[in-house]
Formats: sequence, C-alpha cells, structure tokens
Amino acid sequence: MSKTNDTNYQTVISVGIDIGTTTTQIVVSRITIRNTAPGSSVPRMEITDKEVVHRSKIYFTPLRDHQIIDADAVAQIVLREYREAGLTPEQVDTGAVIVTGETAKKENAKNIVESMAGLAGDFVVATAGVNLESVLAGKGSGAAAHSREKHSVTLNIDIGGGTSNIGVFKNGQVIETACLNIGGHLIEVERQGDRITYISEPARAILRECGLSWQTGDMPGLDELKSVARLMAKCIIETITTENVSSITGELLMTPPLRLDYRVDSIMFSGGVADFIYGDFRPVSVSQVSEYGDIGPLLGWAVKEELSAAGIVPEKPGETIRATVIGAGAHSVDISGSTITVDKAVLPIRNVTVVSPFVKGVPESPGEITTAVHRAAQRIISDGSAQFVAFAMAGPAEVSFAAVQELAQGIAQGAADFISRDKPLIVVVEKDCAKILGQCLKIILGDKGEVVCIDQIVVGEGDYIDIGKPIMGGRVVPVVVKTLVFENTGARKD
Amino acid sequence: MAAESQMEQLIVENVMKELAKRGLMGNGSPNQVEMPEKAAGAQPKTEPYRESGDDPLTIPDITGIWVPNPENLEAIKVMKQATPARIGLYRAGTRPKTGAMLKFMADHAQAMDAVFLDVSEEFLQKMNLFLVDTMAQDKEEFLKRPELGRKLSREGEKMIKEKCEKNPQVQILVVDGLSSSSIEANVPDVLPALTQGLTAAGIKVGTPFFIKNGRVGVQDHVGKLLNAEVVVSLIGERPGLVTADSMSAYIIYSPDENTVEADRTVFSNIHQGGTPPAEAGAHLVDVIKRILQAKASGMKLNQ
Repeated sequence: MSKTNDTNYQTVISVGIDIGTTTTQIVVSRITIRNTAPGSSVPRMEITDKEVVHRSKIYFTPLRDHQIIDADAVAQIVLREYREAGLTPEQVDTGAVIVTGETAKKENAKNIVESMAGLAGDFVVATAGVNLESVLAGKGSGAAAHSREKHSVTLNIDIGGGTSNIGVFKNGQVIETACLNIGGHLIEVERQGDRITYISEPARAILRECGLSWQTGDMPGLDELKSVARLMAKCIIETITTENVSSITGELLMTPPLRLDYRVDSIMFSGGVADFIYGDFRPVSVSQVSEYGDIGPLLGWAVKEELSAAGIVPEKPGETIRATVIGAGAHSVDISGSTITVDKAVLPIRNVTVVSPFVKGVPESPGEITTAVHRAAQRIISDGSAQFVAFAMAGPAEVSFAAVQELAQGIAQGAADFISRDKPLIVVVEKDCAKILGQCLKIILGDKGEVVCIDQIVVGEGDYIDIGKPIMGGRVVPVVVKTLVFENTGARKD
Repeated sequence: MAAESQMEQLIVENVMKELAKRGLMGNGSPNQVEMPEKAAGAQPKTEPYRESGDDPLTIPDITGIWVPNPENLEAIKVMKQATPARIGLYRAGTRPKTGAMLKFMADHAQAMDAVFLDVSEEFLQKMNLFLVDTMAQDKEEFLKRPELGRKLSREGEKMIKEKCEKNPQVQILVVDGLSSSSIEANVPDVLPALTQGLTAAGIKVGTPFFIKNGRVGVQDHVGKLLNAEVVVSLIGERPGLVTADSMSAYIIYSPDENTVEADRTVFSNIHQGGTPPAEAGAHLVDVIKRILQAKASGMKLNQ
C-alpha cells in the first residue's frame, strides 16, 4: 500500500489468482482510490483507476490426476510470479483466489484455496462459486464496461476448460448469471495426436446425445469430433437465446436457465476458447485440433459456426483468456461509503455471514426491531456454522436522527446475546447513514463490544463478505462480496 | 469565485426586486417579476407556496423523461439518475415546455422564500434555541450591508453573556444566513447528532443558540465573547434552483482579530439530497475532534 502525504489519493495492490480446469493464471493490479468530492464537501472516496501491472504466464493447472490438484506446484507458481512481479505477500492489500470450472468441483479445491490465502498476502480472499465467476469474467472481459458505456445490455460468455460462465450486464451492473457445464477441456486428447486420454462426466452426456460411446484410448475421426463440438456449441447458443432449453442443455446447466425477459444488445465471448471464436481457426485434422491436449480450438470453431447460423455477430472483448483472472484481481474488491464507523482493531474480518433481519423495511417500533434482529441472529448462530454475522438492511425509510437512534436501540438489544469481546457488532446499511448509526450503536454498547458499521454496500441474506483494514486515513474499508444478490433471486428491498 | 459572486449578485438583484414588489422599497421594476409570481401560483405573500394547503396549482413533476421516442431511453435514464439538473424535458419549439417552465419558476420562488422568510418562533422553541440579533436591523439591511451581519447587536451580546456557559470547548451556533428553510429542514437532525457525538467523546459543549440575520463571520465575535476553543456555525447556504434547503457547517478554532477566511473549515451541501443531515452531524464530530487535537482549523489543519 503506498502512502502519500496527499490524503485525497491512495493506491492499493490487488492480486487475482484463477485456478481453472485447464489453466492457472495470476494478475497483479494497482487500484487507485481518490476523494472525488470538492474540498468543501464531506469526502467521497471512489475507485478511480484499475491498472493491471503484472500478468503471469498462462500455466496448465498442475494436477496429480484428474481428481487432485497439485497444491505444492500451484504454490510454486504463485511464488514464482510474485518474484517476477517484485512483490512479497506483505505488499498485497487485497484480491481474490478463485478456483473455477471443473476444478472447483474437485474435493481438494477447498484446501487449495485455504493454503493459498496464507501464501498470497494478508487480505486475499478464498472464494469460488459459479455466479461470482460469471460476474468476474464479465467484468474482466470488458462486458460490464461496454454495457455501461453504451447504456445497453451486454451478455458475456466465458468459455473455459470446464464451464461456460454467463454474465448479463445492464448499465455496468450484473442483472443475471448462469453457468453451463461445457468447456474445451471436457474431452482430453493426446497433444498433437488423436487418441482420447480422458472423458469427463458432462462430456459423456454430450456423447450419449450424439449416439457415440467413446472410451479412453479411442481415436475418433475429425467429423465425429466436429459433431460433438457442434452439439456443445448448440447448447451454449441455446442457453443465451431461449429460456426453454432442450433436455441436454438443461442437464448441463449448473444454474437455473437465464430468464432473458429483456433485450440483449450485444454478446461477447471470453475465456480460452474465445480466441478461436474471434480468430480464423479452421479444423483440418485431429492432431491439429489437439494442440492443447483438448478440443478447445474445435469448440471455438463450432461456436463461430453456430453463431453465424443463428445470425449473431459477437462484440469483441477487451480480454479473452485472462478475463476471469483480471476480474478476480481488479474487480472483486469494492469500497464502503466514506462516512462509516469502524473499530480498527477488529479488522480485517473474513467470511462474515450476512443476515437480513427485516423483510419489509425497518419496523416502526424498537421492540419489533429487537425481535427481528434477535430472530435473524439466532437462525444463523444456532446451526453453528457462522462465526461472524453482519446485519444487512436498507436503512430507515427516512434517515432522521430519531429514526436512526431507534434503529440503533433495536439492533443493540436484539444482537446483545451475540456480541462479545472477540465478536463485534457488524451492520451493513445501503443508505448513507453508517456514521450516525455507528455513533449511536457505540454509545449504547459502551464497552460491551466493538462496532463495525459500514454503508453503501448492497448485500443480502446468505451472502458472505470480507471486510478489510481501513484505508484512506481510516475513512473507507475494502469490502469483498463473495456471493451476489441479483434482481431475480435476491430482490431484498427493505 | 467569480461565478459565485455573480450568482450572489443575481440573487441580491432578485431580492431587491422582490422587496420592491412587496412595497418594502421605494422603487424597482415590479413588472419584470410579475409574470413568474403569477405562474408559480398567486398566494398570500408571506407564505411559501408549499405550505399553503388549499393551493389549487400543483407543481409539475420533472423527474420523468419527456423526450418523445428517444434514441436511447436507457442513456437518458442513467443521466437523469446522475443529476438533479433539468434534462430530458424536451422543448416546445425553441422554448422549454410549459411544465418545465412552471417548475423552474416555482423553484425560483422557493429560493426567494428561503432568503426572505424568517426561521419560525415555534421552531426555535422546539429546538430550545434562544434568538440573538446582529447589527442588521432587518432583512433589507442584512442583504445590503454584509458587515452588519457579522457583528452581534448590543442586546445580543448581553443576552449571550447572561445565558451561555463560558469557556466551552465547542460552541454551536445556528445562523439563518441566506436560507431560513435550510435551518428548519436540517438542524433537527444535525444538532442532536453533533451534540450526542461530542458529549459522548467527553467534549464540553456550550449553550447553543440562534442568530438572526447572521453571516459566517459572526462566529468570531461569539468565540471571543465566550472564550470558546472551537465555534461551529450551522448556517443556511445561498439557495439555488436544485434545492433551497442546503446548509453548511463552518468551523473555526480559537478565533481572534487575526482570523482570516482561510482559517475556517467548511462542509457544505448538507441536505437530504446531499450529505444527509444526521450523517453530516456524526461526520462533524470526527472533524471537530481532529481540530481540537491539532489546535487548528481551515488551511492550517490541512498542513
């Protein structure tokens, strides 16, 4: 973290590590946070610039076999790239390690992620999940920015080795995501040869649909491989064009299908396969197609064919194969509002479980607030899974001092049983009122416990968040939301 | 600065016209302002239109998009969300549409009212603030002679000496400045938030009171009189056409005869559409703590 005398400006080093089905990549970015408010206003901190300062080589994800990731080898890659970038883990302020695609399903992914968090610096978070992956890919590819610039709806499909992650963006905001279990590495072929070395489960479903029953060691012809790739491509196109998908597409969808109850203005592809959609690759032989030991290039070609058959002209992305890792490195972190209340000593806090105590806005009486908060906390604490709990809410209908004071009283009483020396009271509000709400809470709690009250962050029931150490002279905290609320599923507007 | 003083000049001119129309001044050109007044709805002259319940005229809502068949509706929506400015309201020939014009005039009238109306006695009673006058005898003199708004009246000085706690760490003033309506809109949330935060931090807060026809500089007079370490003025900002209810907080550390404007720390734009008043109050607590610690305000604080 670079410190300058100018309190209006600070840069933060963020690292993204993506351990995917086929490839493992690292990027280092420099995020600039500035006070954008005029001198005479209450400060308003904003992320004003994100610059990628180091891109790693694209490594094949080290696997012991098809099931187990080689954790040591991954750690070696990370260490080597840190050296290349001239970084030590201590210099890293924030970022995300994500285990994506097929790799995320493998049993040891969790352990990898945990060992990586220690290696990669103090506040690099461990996270996975298809929805988040779809969002990060769309942000990294430039689809989110495209939709914001054009005030339009841009759909991004990141086709990797194991999955196709779809993120739909409107005016820069994600509105929907989906994930399809189709990727270029689901069928592995001897590199520059024509012998099948591995067939994954989802690929077997595709083969079954094509009436093929290949086994490891078989040597299929190019035309047969093409027909398999074409069916995969059809499933992808179907997913982004219709809500009523065929049974095979439905089987391969890892999420509900897209609603698509809006007009899509542009379609963008990213991921390793995308290079073969935008390039002029023509398959001539199986040994040419198997350059990377899989059918990725062929899948790219097939998507291109299906797109032209459907009359769709895709938009060019800013990044293809690096989209997800750039998303993880530069776009996973957000910052809180600029007037907040935090007891610095308790930060950072990781893996905070979010609960929304109020279904329909903040109740009228402090008694009802207390009951709702208590019930919400109990629901989470009773199953023993959550160590830290954050109470999320939109805030009082009208941010008056009286309303805030009442809210604080209700929350403090309702949460009383769950606050202790090492368990601070964490409140996340949408409206700009965290400073006054925090002030009221601190006065009510006294020395019973610490308070972390932040605003201008939208989270909902079931989300997990990480809250970092304060930056910009203690004015804001970095926040990483690890699962995301969407208009369709998480329409929690209280 | 140039733009600001131009703006001030414009408002002063309008205020003078208004005074003339209300018969408070000998001359002026009433015809020029007659039209807007009619358009905004004729009403009892001493009341703002928004408080007259039986007013048959509704002020047009300009939050919508009036452009017929826009090329990119989404883009206009995003732009309208980003600013309260009068955009996306289309036109009638080369002129604004009637609704847009009426709203403009209504906003203008509201800005005028913010300057002219006094903070009500009921409000001061409710907030438990006593009233102190400056050397300015009335609104007209207050507007024409800025220096008089910076000095307390003799009786005012006396009243402050009698009623206020001496040598406070922080003295809070509520000053009407150029918008009485901003005081009524924001002080009920800023003042308790500020007092609560300061008191909780163990800071000795003096007796707050209200200054009528006051300007920013009057805080120096009060500071010296009470030997206050820090004086905070919550003062009505010169109203604009977006809001007439914006308030500022001016903070000075240990004012004396050498105090200059650069010694003041200021936070402007306190209103529901800017920094919400309760939040601003809590923010001011932090700033005042820093000022007390650094024993300096304004540019000296930033060094």
